[in-house]
This record gives sequence, structure tokens and C-alpha cells, in this order.
Amino acid sequence: MNESQSGLRGRSVSPTDDADRAVLALVTAGQLDALQELYDRYRIMAYSIALRITTDPSLAEDVVQDAFLGVWRNASRYVEGRGSVKTWLLSIVHHRAVDAVRRRRPTTELPEREDVPPPALTLPDIWAEVAGNLDRAEIATAMATLSDVQREAIELAYWGGLTQQEIAERTGTPLGTVKSRVRLGLLSLRRALVGDDGAEDLAEEGPA
Amino acid sequence: MTEQPMTHDEAVDLAAAYVLGALERPEEAAVRAHLETCGLPHPEFEELGAVVPALLELDDSQLVEPPAGLRDRIMAAAAADLAARQPAAERTIPFPSTAERTLRTERRAATRASRFDWALRIAAVVAIAALGAWGLNLQSQLAQAQAFDRAVTAVVQAGAQPGAKTVVLAAAPGKQGAGIGVVAADGSVTLALRDLPATSGNQVYTAWVIVGETPTAVGDFSVDATGIRGLTTKPATTPAGATIAVTLEPNPGNTAPKGEVIAAGVAAAPPGATS
Repeated sequence: MNESQSGLRGRSVSPTDDADRAVLALVTAGQLDALQELYDRYRIMAYSIALRITTDPSLAEDVVQDAFLGVWRNASRYVEGRGSVKTWLLSIVHHRAVDAVRRRRPTTELPEREDVPPPALTLPDIWAEVAGNLDRAEIATAMATLSDVQREAIELAYWGGLTQQEIAERTGTPLGTVKSRVRLGLLSLRRALVGDDGAEDLAEEGPA
Repeated sequence: MTEQPMTHDEAVDLAAAYVLGALERPEEAAVRAHLETCGLPHPEFEELGAVVPALLELDDSQLVEPPAGLRDRIMAAAAADLAARQPAAERTIPFPSTAERTLRTERRAATRASRFDWALRIAAVVAIAALGAWGLNLQSQLAQAQAFDRAVTAVVQAGAQPGAKTVVLAAAPGKQGAGIGVVAADGSVTLALRDLPATSGNQVYTAWVIVGETPTAVGDFSVDATGIRGLTTKPATTPAGATIAVTLEPNPGNTAPKGEVIAAGVAAAPPGATS
């Protein structure tokens, strides 16, 4: 295919995505084998993410188990076009891991139980990835374009499980500043990964 | 539960924190509720959210293999969940023909008390099927799992008929092979068997109905490398309490077992059923 220079813009669907969706369809149909297949495809990433957030191997195991059971019970809620199965699955792991560390953290005020949907039903929203197959080097390069305070804010939020309010307290920074650091950091990351073309794509008004 | 709905501007203000998961969960739920109900577009969410998956790409140095036992725990939990969530009615039991329905209506009064027991029994059968299915390795053996599924479905269908009895066949000590079966009103046994070593040469498995001390051969069958076999035996007199056994015979056509028992179980009427 002779697409435009920016190969990233088309949000290509990789064969892996297709295969994952086929496996997920079987999971939806209640096929245990398919769940096992999905587990084997992503167990390392899932566990590594959970471990990085919780820094506790046994808590990380609980998180991964929770997440896969969540997928098992809610596979039908995966929405095609809202991102890959992989991202969906790993976002669930991320979400559960953050829940786990927040629950463990005594300083965090726990939400009233009845105010939130039961954990099995809270699935994070995902969006189509900025690009299908980024390698780690590209991402590291993109991360390097962030300022130190932007990177810190994103890391504390994403890997530390802190809320932006907690980040403000932890870093002695006004909440408004934390908000804009997170936002500008993500935008900067996007620019670095997609290129300026991609940022304009959002307006959906490319040159005729 | 009657919280103030979030305004569009409030939601947009929280977009970056939302896509990173950096909100308190109730706040996050309020944003989600807004996104689901608000008619306006939310390009900020797409724009910012699209880069978040990139954050999930860890370095090789950060990748860790989970403990081996985790897979088994997840699969066991999922199997239990499957068994719990599927009442008998959801399993594919075809709608009975008119004749069958008439027959059932006649029997309904007599068997009413037992219907819940039946539901439990079938659920148990489904649970066994589910537990069995995940042990099979998907990549090469999905078809095998499906074969077992089909065999189990046949058993469940047979079990839905009036007068049916169930049997769970467990492996004999030191043997491999297990299954479930249903004895139909005519005494034939529909079996779903798995984990049986493949037959070779002249070998066959033989199914027996044993009443008292007397075994009656009700069918010979072979098993391929999948170890899975579904079959329905010849009709025989099979009262409740009869033993259903499978032996591995050196040759077909034996009227008394020569080989060893591989798996066996006792046929049981549904509790409360009139026979």
C-alpha cells in the first residue's frame, strides 16, 4: 500500500490484533481454552505491569487474576474500533493494579463502596492507539521530549497510581500546575509519536 | 447515587487525568457517565488517550514471567465462574418435539419435585465439561475441545429426556480416563469420555452395564490420539444402581471382560424422580 509518508496515521490493524479479536470472540462464547490462549499471549506484560505498579509479587498476581476474570466475564464489552484487545486487556490490568495500591495506601480516602460500580463492571475506557506497533526505542525517544516535571507527573499518575490531587500534594505543586503538566506531557508525547501531521488529523480537516 | 452530573467543561478539564487513570474512582465514574450521555464530541479524550497505550510498552528489563501457578488459578476460577453462570437452560438443549412435550406434560406432575435437582445435575455435568475443556491446549487442540463439547452436549440432551439417569465415570486406580454419561429410558448409555489412551491394533474399549455381578457388553469403540470419545451404547437393562464401566479389551466382541477396568461409575436416578 502506498500510503502517505506518515505510516502511523492509518492506525493500521495488525494481524496480531485480528488474531486477538478472534480469541476474544471465543472468550465471549465461554471457551476456556481461549482465555488460556489470551493469558499465554499477555501474561508477561500483564504481570509486569501489575508488578511495576504494586511492587508486590503476590498483590500483582491477584491483580492479574482479577483482570483476566474481568475479561472472562466482560469480554462482550470490548468495543472494536476503540483500541486493540491487547490495550483493552492491559488497561484493565493497569486499572486493577491502581485500585490495589490505592486500597493498600492508608492515606488515600477510600471511596464509599456503594458509590462506585462493583469492580467487575468497572472497565477502563480505551481509545484507538496512536500507532499500532511502536517499539520501545521510539517510545523512549518520545518520552525524552517531555520536561522532567511533565515526565514525573505522568509517571506518578500512571505507575504510582496517584491521583492528580495526590501528585500536587506529593510534589508541593498547585493542582492546576499538575493538571497542565499531565496534559502538556501527553500532548508532547503524542507529537513525538505521531508527528505534527498526526496532531492535525484530530481536526479532521486535512488538506483537500 | 444522585450526584450532580458533571458538566461538559468539567469533564474536559479532567481529560488528561482521566485517560491516565489519575482520578479518584468516583470522579472517574462521573466522567465516564458524562462521556456516555453527552451529545458533544470529546476530541481531547481521543487525542490524549491515544498515547496512553504507548506507556504500557515496558522494557525487556522490566518484563517478568509470572509464577507458573497463576495460570491454573485463573483457569480454575474461570471454570468455576462458567459453571456458576450457566444454568442448565442456557446449554443447548433443543426444544422438545410435540410428542416429547406431551410425554413430558404427562410426567411433569410426577417429576416436578425433581426438576431443580435435574438443573443441578446438568449444571454439574456442564461444570465437569468446563473443567475438562480447559486442560486441553488451544493451539493444536481446539478441535479436540470442540469434539468433547459435542459429546457433552449429546449427553446433556440425553439427560433432558424423561426417565434418564446420570453417571459420572471416574478413572480406576492407576488408570487414565474419565467421563460422564446418561442412561436413557431404553437403557442405552450416551457417554462423553476423555483422557483415554489411544487404542492400537486389535484393541478396543468396551462399555459394560453391570447389574449385580453380571456384566453385559453394550458396545465396543476405539479411541484416537485425542483421547476423546462420544458414543451411545446399545440398549440394555440398566436400572438405577447399575455400574457403567469401560474396559480396555485385547479384541472386540468379548461377552465377558478380559481386560482391566479403565473407568466406571454408578447410574443414579434423579432424586425424587418416579421410575
